[in-house]
Amino acid sequence: MLVTHAWNTLRRRGVLGINARNADMVLAHNPRRLYPLVDDKLTTKRLLLDAGIRAPALIGTIATEHDIANLADTVNGHDGFVIKPAQGAGGDGVLVVQDRFEGRYRTTSGRLLSDDDVGFHLSGILSGIYSLGGHHDQALIEYRVQPDPVFSAISFEGVPDLRIIIYRGYPVMAMLRLPSRQSQGKANLHQGAIGVGVDMAEGITVGGTWHNMRIFRHPDTANPVAGVQIPRWGEFLYLATRCYELTGLGYLGVDLVLDRQQGPMVLELNARPGLSIQIANNDGLTTRCARVDAHISQRAGEAPRQRIAFAREALCNSVTE
Amino acid sequence: MVTVRLHARLLALLIVVMGGASVVWQAVVWGIPLTETETDPVWIVDARMEFTAREDFPVKMTMFLPPVEGGFVTLNESFVSHNYGVNVYDEGPNRRAMWSARRPQGHQSLYYRLVLTRSFSEPPVFSGPQYRKPMPLDGAEQLAVDALIKPIRERSADVETFISETIRTVNNSSNGNVRMLLAGDNSVENRARVADLILAAAHIPSEQVHLVRLQHGLSQEPQLWLRSFNGEQWLYFNPDNAQQGMPEDSLVWWVGPGPMVELEGGRNLRATITTSQHEMSAIQLAQTVRPLTGQSLWSLSLYDLPLDVQHQFRLMIMIPLGVLLILMLRNLIGLETLGTFTPVLVALAFRETELVWGVLLFVLITGLGLTLRAYLEHLRLQLLPRLSVVLTFVVMCMLTLSVLTHKMGLASGLSLSLFPMVILTMVIERMSIVWEERGGTHSMKVAAGTLVAAAACHQVMSLPALHYLFFTFPGLLLVLIGAMLWMGHYRGYRLMELLRFRAMTEPR
Repeated sequence: MLVTHAWNTLRRRGVLGINARNADMVLAHNPRRLYPLVDDKLTTKRLLLDAGIRAPALIGTIATEHDIANLADTVNGHDGFVIKPAQGAGGDGVLVVQDRFEGRYRTTSGRLLSDDDVGFHLSGILSGIYSLGGHHDQALIEYRVQPDPVFSAISFEGVPDLRIIIYRGYPVMAMLRLPSRQSQGKANLHQGAIGVGVDMAEGITVGGTWHNMRIFRHPDTANPVAGVQIPRWGEFLYLATRCYELTGLGYLGVDLVLDRQQGPMVLELNARPGLSIQIANNDGLTTRCARVDAHISQRAGEAPRQRIAFAREALCNSVTE
Repeated sequence: MVTVRLHARLLALLIVVMGGASVVWQAVVWGIPLTETETDPVWIVDARMEFTAREDFPVKMTMFLPPVEGGFVTLNESFVSHNYGVNVYDEGPNRRAMWSARRPQGHQSLYYRLVLTRSFSEPPVFSGPQYRKPMPLDGAEQLAVDALIKPIRERSADVETFISETIRTVNNSSNGNVRMLLAGDNSVENRARVADLILAAAHIPSEQVHLVRLQHGLSQEPQLWLRSFNGEQWLYFNPDNAQQGMPEDSLVWWVGPGPMVELEGGRNLRATITTSQHEMSAIQLAQTVRPLTGQSLWSLSLYDLPLDVQHQFRLMIMIPLGVLLILMLRNLIGLETLGTFTPVLVALAFRETELVWGVLLFVLITGLGLTLRAYLEHLRLQLLPRLSVVLTFVVMCMLTLSVLTHKMGLASGLSLSLFPMVILTMVIERMSIVWEERGGTHSMKVAAGTLVAAAACHQVMSLPALHYLFFTFPGLLLVLIGAMLWMGHYRGYRLMELLRFRAMTEPR
């Protein structure tokens, strides 16, 4: 009884389940051959930069032990930088260097690392410690994002990011991900970060989710998470929407950040984005995607600007609720 | 998308129907039992012939034997008689055996044993004659027969009633014509002969048969019956009381008049038949019967494999069921496990150790392994050396445990060493990846999910009834494939998702 009630409520509200996501979204719209475009961060970054989509600049790559020896040359002129494994998952193996101190690298947590220490870390990345299959990997060295302080009232350390789901080229749902004390500065929901739904029309936050519960205040700062205007919302939407043309993936999660100086930029792409975004927005993805399907069947082949206009009008929270 | 889904569903349906049909075919047409505990009756018919041999005379004894074909399948037939030559031959519709010896001395006992079971398949009906010529009779007998036929014909409607009316008439000793035909001999044999005579005069074919009842602990003599073929089936009549219809569990021993045993060169012949009933596991029976009844190659082909190979296949054939179970636990319930096949492999490992021991061992060794793995992580080893160290450590743990349990006198000590260590090593490796990526709580959840799934798998995969079913009816694998195909397009919520999204189902 309880089960059927919950089931029917979810269905009525158009909540997308994992099985339906895999079958109707991922399998139907994301051809396997396109996965390498998003699985390898180096490929993704080149793709983004070539298309003129703003992303943290690539300082250099480390592909061989020989490259490790030249690290100092590579990062010369950059105080801070980020080292990432190209095929890592879940933020593993990411080293964020804030600045230099007495010829050593200082991380965000204040640890001082010598050239050798960083070299050892790079060597670990190359040997595949952080890639899931244990394959040989490369390391990316990229620009360190300096988060805009606009979200500092509702986040705890780390860099808040914005996840926008693009369905067949249309932005359908957005969520602001705020690090918490529990997530230790990471913006992953299952590590304890907070997801805050964002109204598609104007980019104003609605309620949030934390551990699958609905919340309205940040657990660390106690500030209300709803009603925050995301700056440069139109730019965020435009960047995310263009990633559809870039990858061809029909169901795509775009992770973006707001840099203090450079503004919105794309951090990462995801071919099977999670479903908690629905709790954050308190709305179902199925309903919104169906609306996009209906729209496409009438007006196929719209340009990004038109698609965004449709999304802001027809897919905003106030309309679908 | 919709057409593809329809395609997959139709394919699933087709495969399920195919698999189901093969099972039904095996079960219904070949009568292969659905459970191993099912038993079928087996009758042992013992015939014992005793006589005293004449001095210095060769002995020749012939006996009718039951036919090989019919409603029963002969499992075994044996002749116990030392110093006698035995020769089995066909004689008309009957089989006979001849025992012969040149100079037997004194009291002789010969045995014939027949082991029978009911035939799974419907026995073919042997057609008989439907018309025959009257036997030539002398004048007085002809007159008596003619006088009897007329009232019988008037009181009967068809062949069936004619025969029973004839038998009733012959049994009526007050009738003068009957008395004349019987000529004072009132034995059943003679009454049957006279009834046969009357039937022949009315052009109704009939023959005498001897039946043996298959009942437990019954000592008996073959019973004389009359039978007639009505174009579709044989009608059986008891010449003693006109009872119609062959009693259940009766065996036609031979056709025609004459005694069962004929003896030359001996006297004081006594022949007794005893029957007893036994139970035999139906599947054993099916295996024994199959070569005898010439069933096709595929009916029980897995049972033709060498025994050790059979043993492996019994295990292997259960793996798809375990996989389907995991599939359902994951996609319908939403249980999180380490991959799809790891729980099945762990379940297989449980077979070696028994469930409780297996779970303890799993927890213990995985815990130790994870600790070691965490330490090695600190040393920043590369993947392969790290895996090798963990594997060696797992082997050492198992050796230690085996020795310890053996010293403590626990029986399962030795079987622990067979616990597949590669599986454990992989579990440890994947666990630690999950731990790093998604934290300790989540990895414990996944580990518990894996254990629950493995235990469930183990329980299902070790059900003897299912073992038997899948091994005997491999067509069930097709049914599994159908279910998996169907699951491939399952789009509903997982049960755990109802919990996960409960914030969205509560009234605002």
